[in-house]
Amino acid sequence: MKIKIINDLNIKKQAEELAVDIWHTPSFLFIVMGVITAVIMITNYYISVNQNRPEVLVISESIIVITIFIIGNSIIESVEQVAKLNKMKSEFVSVASHQLRSPLSAIRWETELLQSKFGEGLTPRQQEAVQTIRSLSGRMVRLVNDLLDVAKIDQGRLALKKERVDLAKIVEETINQCYAQARAHNVDIIFNRKKQVPTIIGDNDRLKLVVENLLTNGIKYTVGKGRVEIGVYEINNYLVFNIKDNGVGIPKSQQKRIFNKFFRSDNIVKHQTEGTGLGLYIAKNIVEQSGGRIWFESREGVGTVFSFSLPIKQF
Amino acid sequence: MEKKKILVIEDEATLQKALMEYLTLDGFDVVEALDGEEGLRMAKREKPDLILLDIILPKKDGYEVLAELKQDETTKDTPVVLLTNLGGPEDVQKALDKGATTYLIKADYKLEEVAAKIKELLKMQ
Repeated sequence: MKIKIINDLNIKKQAEELAVDIWHTPSFLFIVMGVITAVIMITNYYISVNQNRPEVLVISESIIVITIFIIGNSIIESVEQVAKLNKMKSEFVSVASHQLRSPLSAIRWETELLQSKFGEGLTPRQQEAVQTIRSLSGRMVRLVNDLLDVAKIDQGRLALKKERVDLAKIVEETINQCYAQARAHNVDIIFNRKKQVPTIIGDNDRLKLVVENLLTNGIKYTVGKGRVEIGVYEINNYLVFNIKDNGVGIPKSQQKRIFNKFFRSDNIVKHQTEGTGLGLYIAKNIVEQSGGRIWFESREGVGTVFSFSLPIKQF
Repeated sequence: MEKKKILVIEDEATLQKALMEYLTLDGFDVVEALDGEEGLRMAKREKPDLILLDIILPKKDGYEVLAELKQDETTKDTPVVLLTNLGGPEDVQKALDKGATTYLIKADYKLEEVAAKIKELLKMQ
């Protein structure tokens, strides 16, 4: 019976998620507190109806207060423990990522040196090997940067700069940067830049990261020949960015979880094993912290349109 | 044209060597220091055209070195580029407040881009 209640209320799952004993989960402690309080209140009722003795009533009332106090205290303790664990986890990610950046910088620079300055004697196969190390170390740097961003988001200290941002220029730069990747995936990128759009206030590097994440998703998750269309335009004091692909799409059943940390939908895992499920989580946090909103429409097998809007504010 | 002199203050030997080799092959005269105090001495003695400075350094950290460079008559006008892996906005702000010309994250920049930045700052392009 006890096990059944524990299962029904998902206390076991909560205990696993929070990495604490079942007896320390807030849900379990609340139930215990509720049961004890109910029992004592019923007892109080009987005492007050059947016995005309105020001192017994005072004693049992005191027991309620003490019980609530003790259990309340252990709830606070367990919540504190969870918060502490969470903080330690974020700090660990942050320290580990910083430490990883140094050796990664060294790998990138040494391979760059080998390729660009000492590359003459290398055979084509050796050059290919160096190129592979270079691009993989670049991928590791991006992963480490993503983990650092997630740790900052989780600690509530992702600080964004406030500077003038030309979103159309960011889009053009990102397209140039992703050109080789798009060619490799047989994807055409079209930027519908109709007219001049106003500049906004935001963090250039972070907003570039958002555009980059959305564009590389569009490229990566297109199978066969594809097309990615980007538009930037102004609507009611907002700058709206959208990107439309004819890729694999997001299954309806998984659309709710698409912005969750580490989430990757089943169909994209099949097509593309590379990916961490952090890109959209980071993008959402950056856009929302910049005062904007991010959303999408998608049909599996047809394609996806991702959009975000940012307020146009004057200095 | 006379070669431009770059002082690299960096304690990580591999990074130091990679920077030195790349910049030398790119036509710069490169001098090196492995800690903050040596960096300050070299800056005064060698009078470089530009200084690449790491933040986490033995003996004196990059911020202290930067502050002293900016107080000294012989070095106060030398452009200082902070080259580090600490990339928080607070680190960047602190560096710029103390007078750094610019700030580059090592893991995010290729040697080619570091060299291009140096050339741009020295108006060599």
